[in-house]
Amino acid sequence: MSRVRILGIGSPSGDDQAGWLTVDALRDAGVSDNDQVFIEKLDRPGANLIALLENAAWVIVVDATHSNSQIGRVQRFGQEDWPDYQQGLSSHGLGVIDALKLACELGCLPAKLDLYGIEIGEVVPGEVPGRCIQAATRQLAYLIANDLQQTLAA
Amino acid sequence: MNEQKRTVAIHVPVLTRVEGEGALDLRIENGEITELRLRIFEPPRYFEKFLEGHSYTEVPDMVARICGICPVAYQATAVQALEKLFGVELDPWAQAMRRVFYCGEWIQSHSLHIHLLAAPDYFGCNSAIELARIAPDEVRRGLRIQALGNELMELFGARSVHPVGIRVGGFHGAPAQSKVNATRDKLRAALPEAEALIRWAAGIRVPQDDQSFISVAMRHTSDYAIERGQIVTSDGLNIGSADFDAHFAEHHEPFSTALFSTYHQQSYLVGPLARLNLNHDHLPEHVKALLAESGLSLPSRNLFHSMLARSVEVLLALHEALRLLEDYRLPDSPYVDVTPRAGVTTGCTEAPRGMLWHRYEMDDKGYVVNARIVPPTSQNQGRIEEDLRMSLMNFGLDHPDDALRLHCEKVIRNYDPCISCATHFLRMNVERG
Repeated sequence: MSRVRILGIGSPSGDDQAGWLTVDALRDAGVSDNDQVFIEKLDRPGANLIALLENAAWVIVVDATHSNSQIGRVQRFGQEDWPDYQQGLSSHGLGVIDALKLACELGCLPAKLDLYGIEIGEVVPGEVPGRCIQAATRQLAYLIANDLQQTLAA
Repeated sequence: MNEQKRTVAIHVPVLTRVEGEGALDLRIENGEITELRLRIFEPPRYFEKFLEGHSYTEVPDMVARICGICPVAYQATAVQALEKLFGVELDPWAQAMRRVFYCGEWIQSHSLHIHLLAAPDYFGCNSAIELARIAPDEVRRGLRIQALGNELMELFGARSVHPVGIRVGGFHGAPAQSKVNATRDKLRAALPEAEALIRWAAGIRVPQDDQSFISVAMRHTSDYAIERGQIVTSDGLNIGSADFDAHFAEHHEPFSTALFSTYHQQSYLVGPLARLNLNHDHLPEHVKALLAESGLSLPSRNLFHSMLARSVEVLLALHEALRLLEDYRLPDSPYVDVTPRAGVTTGCTEAPRGMLWHRYEMDDKGYVVNARIVPPTSQNQGRIEEDLRMSLMNFGLDHPDDALRLHCEKVIRNYDPCISCATHFLRMNVERG
């Protein structure tokens, strides 16, 4: 079982690919699956996210956020300040935060959980992600790769 | 006693971002329901047009995109119709594995609906997260069963969301024996969990409601119908899918872009309770025994028994998948070759939330000339409205607005995971006269 799991969440709609692009950028930076690290793109996983949180020491989740903030802004959320939302982009109403809250109630959260949000613009099916998003995902991938390197080396 | 009856207008304007989009308008004046409309905007209408001009080889992957929860249903129905037209005789291996694949979808869809969508209502919870606080073991069990359903779908479809394994003539590939063996062990281990689920569902107190309605489902001579069978009704109809149009009709209502379906000008029920009402004699003996233990008397006229019906079908699907995988062998080929023909064809199967009917007109090169898809959600639409009206009258219209809204949501959630999901986002405006 991998100690570290990196989960990029998204959908094929424009900027909502932010989580997937981060995974691509991490792979470009040399981060790949091995016996310690599992890295995966997920398409609106709903409750299936919970199983991926179990039995891991550290899980890094990257998803798009939409909060009328500056497009491309990257935020890191601790468990105490998970963002709330009324209507996410998830399938059947169970979004990432819902799945995390459910996992928390069920005692399934890993010891360390990093949730990163990348502020996105309008979500348009079939469109490519904006340049700001592409730049933000590369920046975040660099940050995560460094974090991984330092932590796993320790 | 207050003689002055209030006027209540409940508008539920948004059921969004899911396969079934809709809204609810309810108006009560002087103790009478004067307006009740369920408005659903159903994406599959667009898919019918998208399919035109595409090859039969593309159809299974295209129709899988209609629903994120029940893609197998759309695939299995489409290939059934096309194989009938092309004169394809499936290898017994492919026929059996189609049923296993479909069982995976029933297991995941039903478990999702029971634990994450419907059950919280009956425990005074607003969500599965709240339910997990008071019933963590049951929610965990539900997630395990759901994950096993997804695993079965991945086994044959490569992925559980919009799987890609099925093709006209069989499957693109056959799962390795080692993977099947591992899944089989998990299915066997899940049987006691599913039995416990039935007992738990049977113990949940639901409103006592008694309504007259027509149940419609597939029925097969030997199996509990899932992927094949005749269309039967509780008033005695027994037809093949080709005769659907002679008895069922779709029509537009001005307030909805979804088509309403009627059977001999009446609304009707499709889905787990309709199936159980019509096919409980085909359940395996030990499932029958558990059903008897639950105290549920069939046929049931209480739609609130739908959650228990789903739990029974979870055990049935586990049982069926295990039975069909017991003697699994790798086939010589997972598919047979297909030669397209021109003509009109129909297919019908039981999606998790009810009967799903397809009709295709194909040209001689195997391209779609036109397509028609009648999903369970639109078939249930008239019944949901009727149920809401009758159930609200039984419940009592003098309840506070929140209680009325919750009751409406419970009723809607009984029918369809897509609608159930959407109703979690209901916004309500109340006007008082």
